[in-house]
Amino acid sequence: MQLKQILIAAVASSALALTPAAARAQNPTVPEGVRLGLNYTLGTKPGVLVLPMDSTGGDSVRAILQRDIDYDDRATVITLDDQSARAMMPKTGDDFNYPIFAKLGVVAILRPQRSLTGITITMYDVAAKKRIQIGGFPLTDQVNSPAWRMAVHRASDEVERWIFGTPGAAATRILFSGGDKQIWVIDSDGENARKLTSVTLAMSAAWSPDATKFVFCGFTPSGSQIAVYSFITGDLHWLSGTARGLNITPAYSPDGRTIAYASGSEGGTDIMVMQEGDASPSRRITVGRGSDNTSPSFSPDGRQIAFMSGRAGHPEVYTMDADGTNPSLLTEFTYGEQAYRASPDWAPDGRRIAYESRIDGNFQIMTIDMRDRSTKQYTSDGQNEDPSWAPDSRHMVFSSTRTGPRQLWVLDAESGRMRQLTHAAGARLAAWSPILKP
Amino acid sequence: MRKMILATPLAMLFAGCFATQSDVQVLQSDIRTLRGEQLAADSARKIQMDRALASMRTANDSLDALSTRLTRFRSDMTSSMSSVQQQLLQVQELTGQSQRRIQEVRASLEERQSATAPPDSTGAPATPGPNALFQVAREQMMQGSNAAARQAFQDLITKYPKSDVAPDAAFYIAETYAAENNTAAADSVYARVASQYAGSPRAATAIYKRGVAAQAAGNGDKARDLFNQLIKKYPRSDEAALARDRIKTIK
Repeated sequence: MQLKQILIAAVASSALALTPAAARAQNPTVPEGVRLGLNYTLGTKPGVLVLPMDSTGGDSVRAILQRDIDYDDRATVITLDDQSARAMMPKTGDDFNYPIFAKLGVVAILRPQRSLTGITITMYDVAAKKRIQIGGFPLTDQVNSPAWRMAVHRASDEVERWIFGTPGAAATRILFSGGDKQIWVIDSDGENARKLTSVTLAMSAAWSPDATKFVFCGFTPSGSQIAVYSFITGDLHWLSGTARGLNITPAYSPDGRTIAYASGSEGGTDIMVMQEGDASPSRRITVGRGSDNTSPSFSPDGRQIAFMSGRAGHPEVYTMDADGTNPSLLTEFTYGEQAYRASPDWAPDGRRIAYESRIDGNFQIMTIDMRDRSTKQYTSDGQNEDPSWAPDSRHMVFSSTRTGPRQLWVLDAESGRMRQLTHAAGARLAAWSPILKP
Repeated sequence: MRKMILATPLAMLFAGCFATQSDVQVLQSDIRTLRGEQLAADSARKIQMDRALASMRTANDSLDALSTRLTRFRSDMTSSMSSVQQQLLQVQELTGQSQRRIQEVRASLEERQSATAPPDSTGAPATPGPNALFQVAREQMMQGSNAAARQAFQDLITKYPKSDVAPDAAFYIAETYAAENNTAAADSVYARVASQYAGSPRAATAIYKRGVAAQAAGNGDKARDLFNQLIKKYPRSDEAALARDRIKTIK
């Protein structure tokens, strides 16, 4: 078989190759100027094997790395039982028996090892029969604590960057409204779910761009109001610039300074903007003239907003400039058709907008390409709603009744592969975080 | 004299005491007649009152019916108005979408024409039409190639100054400057759009954009002037509605 080899980048620097692993383990970052390299067949998912790691938490490190690489959907994880994998590890001073790995379909070998401050991961290129990358990752917290697991997720993301040139999205969390109508957070791999709020009817959480806080709406004696929760302090404060009544679907602008949300009155629902920390009243940016305009989602450059509007008689997705000008129908409008398209979410790379669309009575997840306006449907079973993009602009989280009770699911927009994220009933209105910094 | 004064009342008293029985009967009969007439009059009045009340009730019922009819009519009118408004909005949306489609079709036609047209006398290929140029420029803009987009929009205006898409092209030139944070250049081009294409919907947007930029730059007086100018010139535009809200926030 003739393989069309592609080279993502060049090989690692010779200086790195000559540096003892123990010494490099002191350095938690990949040295400057190192170039990446891995050979694999174009159009296929390269096989990646993660070797076992001795020491406390070694099994967890291996399991998390394997799962993250699998969930990233760009590589195929070659799984070997512990004994077989250990048998394939070289004895001290020897090199790997690369042809055996090649027969197993392994393109890259990842070898995690304990270091003084955490772990060191070494990547070997099976085709080139050499080590091509090494990096140290600090793991200072208690084994399997949320912070420790997040640190391993960061290592996974970096390994993805070694292989593909762009990092993964494992070091992220997802906010959602639970069945108890409170805001919950869960790791991207479905671990560490915990409740964050205790207010009435909390929903529609949205991350701040730096992921240090989130904005959501909850019910108060003044109606549905907007609040901000800080992960740093654990405090929650209600924003004062909102009017009494219905205030829903808040979202942060990419610079984190503006919060857009929908505010309802007898004359319809319009999208408002306010500056966080500024007590002055919010300012309207849609002129709905009695129609409902909700669910704002900023473009990555902050210059535009996608939103849902019923101004044409039924809900459709529109875009407008962030100052409220140039409103334009984005989704396909067919006269006489009672379509329902809502909950837009602009992908972090700006290329697509995900939304829900009612098709044959059920809501399905769709995307629309911002360049040619071509649409794509991703789901067909049950009710599928409220999509939210991962920072890799490839995965989406959404709520679905495909297996009965409403749960959160993760979808790979490239392959269409799905996995269930939550298992408690009633989860909905999810929001995927940016990459979480240490 | 004193005797005469006493005699007169006495005489009168004796005369009364001696009234006959028939006189009493006549008196009683008169009283009965009077009572009868009184009762008859009361009865007639009651009938009249009842009639008047019935008439009033009828009138009230008619008024109620009229009022209900009026309310229903008003409701129908409101519903019809709302429906008409809704249809108008739908028509606007469809018009917008259709315009986009027409533009795409025109661009496609122009591309085909220019591909099949023979080169001019100098041997240069036929130039693309305004819609094809517009399409190319928009694509450049969406890719973030602001300078290339600006050049294409400028070519369009230079070659086809009377084209339908010339106001949009001028507006997008300003947008490309705004995307590059060149606020001075953007303001200048927006001003040109507002003056040269005052009949285009882009004019109101251009004035609004200038006002927003002025407000963001801390120039409240200029922003207020521009918003007031917008409200005066295009009072029914969406931008005027937004400008009214904006004026309230100028410090």
